Amino acid sequence: MAALRNFKKAIALCLAGQLMVTSGMATAAQAEMVATSDVIQKYAGTLDRAYLMSEMERQEVRDLILSLGVDPAEADARLAALSDEELSSILAQYEKDAAGGSSVVGALLTVFLILLATDLLCMTKVFSFTRCVS
Amino acid sequence: MYVLVMSLALSACATSAPMPGPSVRTAAPQGTPSHVFLAGVPLIEQKDDYCGPASLAMALAWVGPGVSQEEVAAQVFSPGADGAYRADLIGSARRHGQLAVTLSEPADLFREVGAGNPVIVFQNLGLDAVPVWHYSVVVGFDLVDAYVLLHTGKDKMEKVDMAAFQRTWARGDHWGMVVVGPGALPASADRDEVLRGAAALEGLGNYEAAIKVYQAGRQRWPDSWMWSFGEGNVAYAQGDLMGAITAYEAALDIDPTIAEVQHNLDEVFKELTAKVGQS
Repeated sequence: MAALRNFKKAIALCLAGQLMVTSGMATAAQAEMVATSDVIQKYAGTLDRAYLMSEMERQEVRDLILSLGVDPAEADARLAALSDEELSSILAQYEKDAAGGSSVVGALLTVFLILLATDLLCMTKVFSFTRCVS
Repeated sequence: MYVLVMSLALSACATSAPMPGPSVRTAAPQGTPSHVFLAGVPLIEQKDDYCGPASLAMALAWVGPGVSQEEVAAQVFSPGADGAYRADLIGSARRHGQLAVTLSEPADLFREVGAGNPVIVFQNLGLDAVPVWHYSVVVGFDLVDAYVLLHTGKDKMEKVDMAAFQRTWARGDHWGMVVVGPGALPASADRDEVLRGAAALEGLGNYEAAIKVYQAGRQRWPDSWMWSFGEGNVAYAQGDLMGAITAYEAALDIDPTIAEVQHNLDEVFKELTAKVGQS
């Protein structure tokens, strides 16, 4: 697994390098305008919420999205719509296994009984038939 | 019985039908109306695992043209995760040309719904050890009888006990998001959240939507030069050099010391001079 990860990172590094060369050529031809997002990154916010992601980290998020069965063109469209901070939240959520929609409820009867009890105590809200008494 | 338990426990984007309970502490800020119900928010019954797409489809339909949960799912659903990531909901709203902003604090939920903006919330309906992740749309609340009104899951609108809701929402890190229509601003969002959302629309090439947010932002936060800077960049991207100059100059009127504004202004002047020279 670690070897695979390293291999992926090496590929990502190559791609990132290639990207820098091509994008560098593209911008040289036109005016060097400062983007709105760069200015916001520098001047906005008392909270240090905005931070820069390396090309490798972006590639890591892209790999993750692809590995979850999203096709490459759609993955790129998703990446383009998000800031670095937002992208990093995908990794964090993935590590918590917390994509909304998945319910990894154990199959044990005890789990059912616990959740039934917590539902009735207004602690949780798992079952449609429970009425909570707070 | 066991089979019944299994099927209930494993149903994704779980549903719930709780009843109102006695009053509990709430995070509602001073001046919040005690009862709010946004009757016009469409109810879309989610398909399996599509609580995220269905929730966003409802929020999008409230502010703009209707979108199906399948269309949204194509932009937010990650099959391998059996669900949708929160960031992808934000991204999809932007790809639909709308401004999407996350809540800064729990009390914002009441501010937004009170101002007529339904809030998409992320909940853990289960426990930390046994999570049941879920998205719903808050379309109303009652502070006296202590309940919230949710468009959630496959059932009709639900009245959820305030205490139970707040616990499940706290386990989802109090994550909430509003989608507002063209030119409108969220009631609670801070300036920088709105700026980032607008810049993201600009980055996607949705200049029409971006410019509306910059204009609205400039009116609400007239002390900040960044709105005019954004307007200048959009004008430039659209080939409107004169418009860009006007906007950058407006930004410099607010703060003449910002090198980036001066830089972009100089670039546009250079380009304009070159064009005049050619013709």
